[in-house]
Formats: sequence, C-alpha cells, structure tokens
Amino acid sequence: MSDPLLSVQGLCVSYGRVQAVRDVSFEAAQGSLVALVGANGAGKTSVLNAVAGLLRPRQGKVVFDGTDVTRWPAHRLVDAGLVQVPEGREVLATMTIQENLQLGGWHRRSTADASIDEMYERFPVLAERRDLPAGALSGGEQQMLAIARALVAQPRLLLLDEPSMGLAPRVVDEVFRVIEEIRQSGTTVVLVEQNARRALRAADVGYVLETGSLAHSGPGHELLTDERVIAAYLGID
Amino acid sequence: MQQVLNGIFAGSIYALFAIGFTLVFGVLDRLNLAHAAVFTTSAYVGIELVADLGLSIWLAIPAVLVMGAVLGLVIERVAFRPLKGRHDAHFAGLISSIAVGGMFLALLQARYGPDTRRFPADAFPSTDFELGGVRITLLQLVILGVSLGLMLGLAYLVNRTRLGRGMRAVAENPHAAAVLGVNVDRVTATTFAISSALGAVAGVLLAFYVNSAQMTMGFNIELKGLAVIIVGGMGSLKGAMIGGIALGLAEVFAVQYVGSSWRDVVAFGLLFGILLLRPQGLFGARQVREV
Repeated sequence: MSDPLLSVQGLCVSYGRVQAVRDVSFEAAQGSLVALVGANGAGKTSVLNAVAGLLRPRQGKVVFDGTDVTRWPAHRLVDAGLVQVPEGREVLATMTIQENLQLGGWHRRSTADASIDEMYERFPVLAERRDLPAGALSGGEQQMLAIARALVAQPRLLLLDEPSMGLAPRVVDEVFRVIEEIRQSGTTVVLVEQNARRALRAADVGYVLETGSLAHSGPGHELLTDERVIAAYLGID
Repeated sequence: MQQVLNGIFAGSIYALFAIGFTLVFGVLDRLNLAHAAVFTTSAYVGIELVADLGLSIWLAIPAVLVMGAVLGLVIERVAFRPLKGRHDAHFAGLISSIAVGGMFLALLQARYGPDTRRFPADAFPSTDFELGGVRITLLQLVILGVSLGLMLGLAYLVNRTRLGRGMRAVAENPHAAAVLGVNVDRVTATTFAISSALGAVAGVLLAFYVNSAQMTMGFNIELKGLAVIIVGGMGSLKGAMIGGIALGLAEVFAVQYVGSSWRDVVAFGLLFGILLLRPQGLFGARQVREV
C-alpha cells in the first residue's frame, strides 16, 4: 500500500490555556474521502485549520505527500496543493466572481485561466454572473463559488469545512454531489461536517471527534451502523 | 484661470501624498503617521542629489521613488509588523509610526541641520509656455504629469493586476486571502512600499514647486493629507485624488479672494462643510470592514 497523502500525528491545539485538540491522529489515503465528524466545539475546525497552516499546533506533526509541513504558512501549503474551503465560505463579497476565481489561482499564474473556464462550464450559475460582486450570490451559490475558487488552485488535497452549513436541504444535496464529483476526479478530500450522517455516508473513512479527542474511527458505512456512534451523534430516525 | 492652474498644481501634490496615505489605510486599516516623515526626507534627499551630486531633477524623481519604497519597507517591518495580532494594534501602530517618523526627522536634522535647504539656481529648466494669457512652466507640467501618471498607475495596479487583487482581498478579509494562498505579509509590505514611494515623490515634487525643503513641511502636509483622505472617504483612492486637488484649489482661491492669512480657515472650513453633508466622505463606503 502506498503512503497516505496526508498523515496527521498526535496533533494538539491550544487557545491560551484551553486545549481544543488533544492528540488527534488520522490519515487520508490518496484519492479517498475522509470525514471528520463530531458535535459543535469538538475541535473539528481547529484540526482543519492546523492542517491548513492557519494556526500553529502546540504539538504534533502534519505530513503531506511525504513532507513534514507542520510549520508551513498557509500560502506555501496552497502552492504545494493543500487547499482549504473555509467554514462560512469567506467569499470576497465586494470583489467580482471572476476576481474571486482569479484569486483562487494566485499560485497558478499560467494555468489559472483554463481552470477558471472549466469552473464556468461546471457551474453555469457562476458564469452568468462573473462580473457581479460575489456578495450578490445566494448562500448556496457562494458555497459553490468557494469550492470552485479552491479548485482553481488545482489541489491534490481539498479540506472542506462545514460546506453544508446554513444551506437548504436541496442545496445540501447539490453540495454533496459536487464533493462526490471532486473525489471521482481523483482529488483527495477531507470533509468536516456537523451533518454526520450525510458525511459518513459519503466517506470512505470516518473519524469521530469528541471534546478534542478521537473517539471512534473506521469505514464510513461501519460508523453509520455503530451503536455507540448512533447513540451519541446520529440519533434515531 | 492662472489661479485655477496654480491650485491644480499644488493640489496634485496633495493628492499624490494623500493617495499613498489612504492606500495603507484602505488595504490594512492602519494609519501610517510616518508617511509625512518620508515626504520630508525625500525633499531633503532630492535637494542633496541635485545640489551636491549634480543629478538632474529628472533622475532625482525615480531615485527618491526607490528610496521611498525602501523606507516603506522599513516602516512596515519596524513600526507595524511586530504589533501584528495585538488587540490594540490600531492604536499601537499609530504611536509606533509617529516614533519612527520622529526618528527619520531627527536623522535628517543631524545630517542637514535645521535650516531651509534650496535647489541651486540652475537646477530647473527655464522653459515656459503662454497659452491664452496663462503662463505655465515646464516644471509645473512635470509636477502635474508625474503626479497624475503615478495616481493613474496606482489605480490600474489596484483594479487590474494580480497584486491589486491580492491587495483588495487583504483589505476585505485577510483570513480569506490567506486561505486562498495569498502571502498576506508580503502583500502588506508591498503596500507600504508603494504607499511610501508615492509619498516620497510627492515630497520631492513639493520641494521643486516651492524650491525649498524645511523640517516643518511634513507637519503641514500631514494635516492636509489627513483632511483630504477623510473628506475623500477613508481608503478611497479616487476620493484622495479629487480631495487633494479640491484642497489645492480651495487654498488658492482663499488667498486670492479672502486673504492669505485666511487660507487654512477657508480650506479646512470647506472640508468641514463637506463632511457635515457627507459624513462618510465623498467616496467613502458606508459599510466598514467586515470582521
């Protein structure tokens, strides 16, 4: 078996004295979709931000494609192919859709234009409005823009932080369809979600975080039927 | 008509100073109060280059532009970057930039002494033009051309280039910019370099215009520059440009029709009046930065 594209080992994150993430380790194999689920405040976003270089872990190691990237700043990771779609989408509301996509291609000077055209084909709703400010888009459209913008960076590993947050069920379906397409195209995906059932159904491997520590892990479909996980996170339906 | 032109010449220098001032504010939400010290420094250095090294004034302009950019990098590194991430970074940056500006002025005084410095008599071309009863010197045309050219160049840079997109992204949401792979520290430093380069050129152009440099020249322009960027709308490049020229015109007309001792009263009174009508400034956005 080949080495995993991403390997996180013994990650600890603290905010002042508060320890948000305790000794979390997980892996994402090349081409897989890994879900990190857990309740609000379980530390999912902290893990993702530490991996993306947006905050410094207190301890632990992040290895991307065989290289220790633990202290790399975000811009260097993006250049290397590790790209995050942040929680809350964070589109640049006053800038146009075209400019948002161009910013996604910050490190891909020569190939960005071709990628942007590809995104317009894939998301026609963005193409129609390319010269409008991104703030004019609906929440679901902004999420598509945030994903498209990250794809323009031509990631090998895409980190998605709560992509379904605050969206209508129909739009959530659309988002998950896009995530599935991204995985099909060969990009490795790490997905953080509060919508645990949905995320685990899509995932090859799932990890359940509980107050900053890993509680359970396993293939997504197994976690879905795991009694303890059901009791704690999925409820009964 | 002659007065209108004089107002535009002086105003274009104010505008050039103010546009650099407002650029740092617009992108980084910080006021750089060492901006005026860069302006003064470049006036003195410009005179030294021409008077002592015999450089032509045409070469003095690009030379101080480069010097200004370097000073901008120094200001960013010394007065602003160490404070990054502090809760009181706004206020602390204000104070530390005053300190850095003060150090620049102290070094200037040590090198050049407290007296007014002037260009040698033969430094400026004596060419001038008569157009319909209005007299314009070549020097005035150069001042206007250089400042307008730099301002339009800046507008192009900010609105149409990759660096400009990065600057606007950092202005709107530094976190989102970092997530997208923009090196926020580098864009920040570059913004300071550009801002100070423009402030430096404004300094040497004013030295040309009044044929002198004084230690106090920075204080005058700093107040005017602040007024201009507030009236133009904080962070608005267009506002700084139009506000600067408006201030130049207001000063000239105040001298002409009211009396020279009333110049500042009339000019600042006018700016005050504009703010009463439009508190956000001429081109200011009502909405402040998103957090």
